[in-house]
Amino acid sequence: MSATRADVEQTVRSFLERAQKPSDVLTADTPLYADGVGLDSLETAELSAVLEDTYGSDPFQGETMPQTVGDILSFYDAVANPATAGA
Amino acid sequence: MIELLRAAASADADGVAVVTDERTVTYRELLSFAEAIAAGLGERGLHRAAVLDHDADTVLATLAGASLTGTELCQYPPTDDAVEIASLADRFDHEVVITRRQDLDAGPAALSPEDLRAPGRVPDAPPEQRPLLVLTTGTTGAPRGARHDWNRILRAAGRIRPGNGQRWLLAYGLHQFAGLQILVHVMAARATLVAPAPRRPREGLAAMRAHDVTHASATPTYWRFLLAELRADGGPVPGLRQITLGGEAIPAPVLDALAETFPDASISQVYAASEFGSSSSMRDGRSGLSLDVLERSDDADIAMKIVDGELWVRSRVGMLGYYGEEPLDADGWRPTGDLVDVVGDRILFRGRTSEVINVGGVKVHPLPVEERVGSVAGVDMARVYGRPNALTGAIVALEVVAAPGADTDQLTAKIRAACADLPPAARPRSIRFVESVAMAGNKIVRRADA
Repeated sequence: MSATRADVEQTVRSFLERAQKPSDVLTADTPLYADGVGLDSLETAELSAVLEDTYGSDPFQGETMPQTVGDILSFYDAVANPATAGA
Repeated sequence: MIELLRAAASADADGVAVVTDERTVTYRELLSFAEAIAAGLGERGLHRAAVLDHDADTVLATLAGASLTGTELCQYPPTDDAVEIASLADRFDHEVVITRRQDLDAGPAALSPEDLRAPGRVPDAPPEQRPLLVLTTGTTGAPRGARHDWNRILRAAGRIRPGNGQRWLLAYGLHQFAGLQILVHVMAARATLVAPAPRRPREGLAAMRAHDVTHASATPTYWRFLLAELRADGGPVPGLRQITLGGEAIPAPVLDALAETFPDASISQVYAASEFGSSSSMRDGRSGLSLDVLERSDDADIAMKIVDGELWVRSRVGMLGYYGEEPLDADGWRPTGDLVDVVGDRILFRGRTSEVINVGGVKVHPLPVEERVGSVAGVDMARVYGRPNALTGAIVALEVVAAPGADTDQLTAKIRAACADLPPAARPRSIRFVESVAMAGNKIVRRADA
């Protein structure tokens, strides 16, 4: 399934709301862990399962773990447009 | 087995032994069938054979006949796949399969029960050793053959009193050890076996109503589905006098729902397995085993102890070993693979050693989570299993069969709320709604690789 940035952002946002994490001040640069959104390892594992269920692939399975919300969005950009990956 | 059948036929030859969808078989007819099979086995000098047949009366007669001649029978699980049959025959070295199928071109020779029957004389008494091979019902990998002996299996049957007019439902496959135990019990109680096909809850419920079933033994999963069928169709509640549950851990909500639905029935829980036989029937309506099962005397058929959280059993009625493997000390202690906790005066089941989910180094038992979810209104069935995850190795995943008409968003919220006070690693991190959950032999499959 090809996902738009807005779709993915909405998926992340509704997951954070359910997990009772701050989602109102979310930007692409917001760190996912510690001082940012504050996901712990289990919550991150849960988010990875949600993303996999929704979009068929999971940015957390790659070699470099996403550090920010923007990293997740870029991962799906790359999935949708492999030619511009890393641009 | 033959001795039970002979005793039943001599007490009441016209009593009905088996009722199937097609016919009714009396004890006289069943005994005559069994002795004709025994004569045929003797005439052909068959020491070992496989059986592949759906008919309860055919299987009963064949087993009873073989228990007289000492022929080692092995029932194959129901399958239409000739390749699978050939592979089982190869694995267990069977040259003959007793079956009505005529399409076994390669592999073992097919011999129909009708052709096996012979008019010759039959022995009065069975030989000293009467082997029987029972295949385990795993879902992954090839089945193993548990080597039993009729003398051990029938050891406990002497304690079964002939009852008056018991009509037992067959809810297990005849190839399963639990199915075999129903056959033994029915013969010893001189009762009637009601055997619908296929052996699913819907057909079971219909058979209970059509044939006035009084006694039924099944897995908790089977009972849950039967209760759901009953709720859905709104038809009459069968007049059961005895309900038995076994084969997997028994959640308290199932016991409560059965007691409420069948107020006149006694409810017992049996702890049993193909390897060690049946033990410890609990009749007090509470989950788990009573702690005093650990204090049985040395001459008990089945004794139990707990080693590092796992239940161990020593059985005098259990198997002798696995086919093709080194013989075991048949009467020695063995681990069961069942993980338990002692809570107050009860031994509670926490799951199988093979089902434990390792979530980032924390061991999570699926059963307590499943029980928690199963008690949420609107959940018909829940399955908890380990879902592989790149970050934590695995997460607790949940599949839910929702009750008809339930709102899945609301149900998801209720399930999360019900699990909110579990340790974080044990909370379901993935919830999916499904039409049905993975099952094998009417038991829920919880292994991550299922």
